[in-house]
Order: sequence, then structure tokens, then C-alpha cells
Amino acid sequence: MKNSVQIANNEIISDLLPQKFGKAGKIWTGFLVVVCLVGVYAYYRQLRYGLIVTSMRDYVSWGIYISNFVFFVAISLVGSLITAVFRLAGVHWSTPLTRIAEMIAVAAIIFASLIIIVDMGSPERFYNLFIHGRIQSPIIWDVIVITTYFFISILLLYFPLLPDIKILLAFKEKSGARLNKFYSFIGSFWKGSPEQFKISERAINILCITIIPVAFTIHTVTSWLFATTYRPGWDSTNFGAYFISGAFLVGAGGVVVAMYVFRKAYHLEKYINESHFEKMGRIVVLMALLYLYFNVNEYLVPAFKMKTSEEAHLNALFNGDFAILFWFAILVGMILPIIILLFKKGRKPLPVFIVGVMVVVGAWFKRYLIVTPTLLHPFLPMHDVPESYRHYFPSWEEWAITLGSLAGVMLVITILARIFPIIPIQETITEQHENVE
Amino acid sequence: MKTLSKNIAALLAIILLLSGYNCFAQGAAKGDVSITLNYFLVNNQVPYLVVRAKTKVDGRFQPVSGISVKLFLDKDSAGTFIGKVVTNNKGEAAAFIPASAKAEWGTTVKHTFLAAFNGNKQYEAAKGDLAVTRAKILMTASSDKKVTAVVFELKDTSWVPVKGVDLKFAVKRMDADLPINETATFTTDSTGTASADFKRDSIPGDAKGNITLVAKVEDNDTYGNLVVEKTIPWGAKFVPVSNFNERSLYGTGDKAPIWLLSIVYSIVVVVWGILIILVASIFKIKKLGKAV
Repeated sequence: MKNSVQIANNEIISDLLPQKFGKAGKIWTGFLVVVCLVGVYAYYRQLRYGLIVTSMRDYVSWGIYISNFVFFVAISLVGSLITAVFRLAGVHWSTPLTRIAEMIAVAAIIFASLIIIVDMGSPERFYNLFIHGRIQSPIIWDVIVITTYFFISILLLYFPLLPDIKILLAFKEKSGARLNKFYSFIGSFWKGSPEQFKISERAINILCITIIPVAFTIHTVTSWLFATTYRPGWDSTNFGAYFISGAFLVGAGGVVVAMYVFRKAYHLEKYINESHFEKMGRIVVLMALLYLYFNVNEYLVPAFKMKTSEEAHLNALFNGDFAILFWFAILVGMILPIIILLFKKGRKPLPVFIVGVMVVVGAWFKRYLIVTPTLLHPFLPMHDVPESYRHYFPSWEEWAITLGSLAGVMLVITILARIFPIIPIQETITEQHENVE
Repeated sequence: MKTLSKNIAALLAIILLLSGYNCFAQGAAKGDVSITLNYFLVNNQVPYLVVRAKTKVDGRFQPVSGISVKLFLDKDSAGTFIGKVVTNNKGEAAAFIPASAKAEWGTTVKHTFLAAFNGNKQYEAAKGDLAVTRAKILMTASSDKKVTAVVFELKDTSWVPVKGVDLKFAVKRMDADLPINETATFTTDSTGTASADFKRDSIPGDAKGNITLVAKVEDNDTYGNLVVEKTIPWGAKFVPVSNFNERSLYGTGDKAPIWLLSIVYSIVVVVWGILIILVASIFKIKKLGKAV
């Protein structure tokens, strides 16, 4: 920010206070609500008729629900990357991006938890996890770390918000009565005294330190859901690092997309400037290179050996039923972003945004490719099974629920952006003052 | 009426065509079956026979399964009928000599077993026979871990020792018999006796160290297969250790390993302890705010 134009406090506050939805905002929110409602209806059908409405059968018991779950867990890691890692490393340019990252993290982890319950079929089965759960199972570890990560993410969103709540309450006329009531409830006690700042700063630092191992654990454990089972494509010691590198990539991609959209929608060009895109572009390219490296390890080494038991699975990915998706995920999700972002022109806002979309879309399909093809190629050949067991294409209910959950994540982010400042106001003002001094 | 006649004519034409097809088909040549018989006497109890049926396919013998073979003692007549057996997928079938053949069995010391297969659509009829002289083994084990076996044959009405019969001493194991020492085969002397030293001291037995010694004459041209077994406490005591239902990664929830529980609960307590402290700090901030 040193080289950027210094902006007056009132102007900062005026720019960064949450804004009511305009026409486009209302249409966007309405659209998301409709998609969510279609998903809710599809879920009602699933509850009414059972999991038979899905295309999941005996072999493919994990379809796009679990792919979606892994995707959400992955994208939620961005909270730890942008907020915690950068904060602890003393990186100040990321300040305008921290809240966006935290909002994405909270929204994604909420829907990661929900989609797991959807995958169980009847929601009361979730209760069985607690009464019959085995601590030896990575599924229970996942439940523990997701709950922990959700709680940490909420706290990491909440603590830095406290100073902004004071500002929001000071500009009551800009928010409605209901919102003011809500702000008062969650933060009217914040007076901005040095003691309060001291406690808050210490809490944020502790959270930043805590969230990193928890974030690594959450995605490592998610990878172990696969790697601890003996199946083609999952039987890997590399899965933890492979998943984490992929999570950081999709997280960074998600932030890039969100910062571009918010910048455009709320005219935040003064706060999220080209240098942010330039720097985030560099981060995305680094993450994409790292993830590509792990992909080479995951696919090239087994392909070199081409063990008979894994041959069908690998061939299905390379030149079989899943080849289009596989090469799409590799090219669009990794190789093209690397090529585009290696050039300075590629790190301008629009190209970075396009690359972000490519990375996120590629990452979603990548999760699908990790989950489903393996299940269709078991070590023991399929014998005497109905034809529907040999293939998997999600039913409309699965698509509706999945798209509904994706819309739900965006809806939560949209609502959070409506209620809270997208860019931390107090931190921005403080940094302005520090820079002037 | 005209339509009906046409239909009948068409039906007849089809039947004629099908029967013609059958008539023109050349009957496939039947295969030859080779029937062999083996005689077994285990622990000097009721003897039994094992029938093996095989046929040559592409220059190799293959077992013949599912064929019915009739077994007779000495004569192919109703009074000496042992039984009818059907070969399994290995081409084998077995039958004990029934009580109904006891009278015939006692008439002489030497018997001939007959096996008759009457043929079927695939194979020609075949017969097999086996001549056996009644014999038995008696085994003793001394305290100095020496095993002695005496082979007797029935002559008239008395059992007499037999010289020059090859026999084996072994310990019975799950899949095969293990020789009791490095010598594979022993031959009986003029008293019909063969002895061997037991050199498998550390071999695992049951919980009391019991093992089963075996003395056997295998595929002898005169006596068939004779086997005698004896249980003796010469083995090492073996108490199987089962870790089923112990704490393990594959156990039930209440059988989780202590190390895993320690690690998981330690992490949970530390992390959630920190989070509880942080939540408490919110109340601290709140308290400070009220004080201002």
C-alpha cells in the first residue's frame, strides 16, 4: 500500500461499509436461492425415496457428493493460507483479501459438513457416527477435524471483525435496524481500548498458529479416507501432500475469483488493485506447479509400472471413459493456468480471474476423477451385477443437490458480504496510518 | 380348413427338417476311460476303496467326473456288491467295504476287487480290478523315542510277519506327513519289523504336546495302502495365540489401541483447550468493554 494513493479515513469507511444489494445483487441472490431450493427439493426426494434416486450403487458408493465434499474441504483451506500463513509471515499486502478468504473458508466448511450428511442418505445416520463410531476410522478423524476447523474459522472471522463492528455501529444509518441489532449483539462491547486490542491480537495470533496444523490435518485426513483403503488410484503414500497442494491451489483460485467479482461489484479498485492480482497470480502459478508435480508423481509412476490390477483404472483415465475429463482437469486446471500466469500480462485482473475460474472448475472435476473412476475399477472383477452397477452418471437429484450446495456456498459468501465489510475497515485504516508515518 | 391344412403341412415340414438334421449328424466317437482301484486300510479298521477314472485328451490324462462305477468283491454278482459310486471333479470316488460283504471277505486271505463302468454317451464301458492280500501294521513307541512297526499278513487264519516290505514313519501334519527323521523309507526285517528314531523334538503339537505318528505302506502291489496312527506327547506344547478381540486398528470402537486413543485425545484436548481459552477471551473483551 506504500505506493498506493493514501485514502482518508472517512472515505475508507464509506467505501468499505457493507452495501445494500443493487439490482444485479438481488438477481444474483435470487438465482442462488432458486438453485438452492431446487437442491432442497431434490434432497426431499432423496429422503422420501431413499438413495435409490441417485445413480450410486454397490460399486460406486461415493459419487459427486463425496467429490463435492473433497472440493469444499479443499477450498476451505484458503482461510489458513491467506489469513494465517500470510499474517504470520508478515505479509501486509494480503490484508484486503483476508476476510474474503475467511468467508470462503466458513461457507465451504459448512457445506462440506452438510454434503456428508446428504451422502449418508438418511440424516439420522449421522447420529450413528457418534454412538457407533470407531476412533480407528479416518471418517471419525474427519468429523473431529472438520468440527474443529469450522470452529477455528468462525473465530478467525469473528475476532478481526470486532473493531469493524464498532465502526458499523457508528454508522447506524447505513444499515437497517435489524442489522444494527445483530451488530450490537455480536460486538457492541468492543470499545477499541488498548487492552481489548491486546487480547484480540493475541487471540488472532494464536488462531493463526492453530489453524495451520488443523488445516493440514483436515485435508490430510480427508486424503486418508481414500489412501487407507486398498484400491487402484488410492493406494498411495503421497495422498496427504497431494491433497494439500491441490487444496492450496483451488483455495487461491477461489480467492482470485472472489476478489475480482467483489472488486467489480463493489468498486473496490482502490483497495484491491492490480498488484494484488499480480501477487495472487504468482501464488496461483506456484501452487499449480506444485500440484502438477504431485500429479506427475501420482499418475506417471503407476503408469510406468502399469500393474495389471491398476491398468484398467489408469487406461480409463488416460484414454478411456474418463479421458476427456482427466485431460481437461490437467490442462485447464493446471497447465494452462501455469502458462498464462507465467507472463506478466497474464497476471492482470481479467486474465487472473479467468485463470481462477479455470482452476476452480478444473479442481472440481479433479476431485470427481479421484473419487469415482477408482470405484468403477475394483481389484476383483465385477461378476453377475446389473448393468447399472458398471457405470456411473449422476442422477438429476445428485446434480441438483450438488449444484444447490455450490450455490449455497456462494449464497453464504454473498450474505456475509452483505452483512460484514468485505475488506477489514479498521485494519485498512491502521495500515494507512502506519504507511503515512 | 384350408388354412389348417397349410399349418399342419408347415409343421410337418419343420419336424421333417429337424429330424433330417439329426439324421445327417454324424455320431461323435466315444472316449476310452481308464479305471484304477486303490485299497486302503487305516488303523486296521474297515477297509475302503478309491476309484480313479481318467481319459486321454490331446495326449494327456484328464480326470473323468460324474460317471457311475459299480464295485464288486471277487465276483461280479449281487452277493458281492460293494456299492455304486460317482466320480467327483477329480475323477475320484470312494467306498467302504460294507457289512453285507463281510461273509465273502472272511472266505479267503486274498481278494480281487472289481470296478465296472457300463459306458455312457461320452465314454465306452470300462473295467478295472485290484488283487489284495489282507495285511495290517502294528506300531509301538518306546520311551527313548524309538518307533517300531511290524507288518503282518493273513495266512490261513493267523497273522504272520512279513519280510521286505517298504514302509514310512511320519508325523501327521495339516497338509502332508512329515518323516520322523532323515530316512525316507524303512524295510521290514525277517520278523516283519522296522524301527526308526524320532528326531522331530521341537515339532509343535497340540496344547498338551500331542502329535500323531504314522506308519504306512504305500501302494504296495500285494497289500495296497496300509496306515496306522498313534497319538503320543512328543511334540512341543502349542497354545495358539489369538489377538482377536484385542485392542487393534481393526477392532471395534471399544477396542481401539491405547496409543491411538492417547494421540487423538491429546490433540483434541490441546486444540479444544486453546479454543476454549480463546472463547473465554471473548468474554474477557466483553467485560473490559463494559468497564469502559
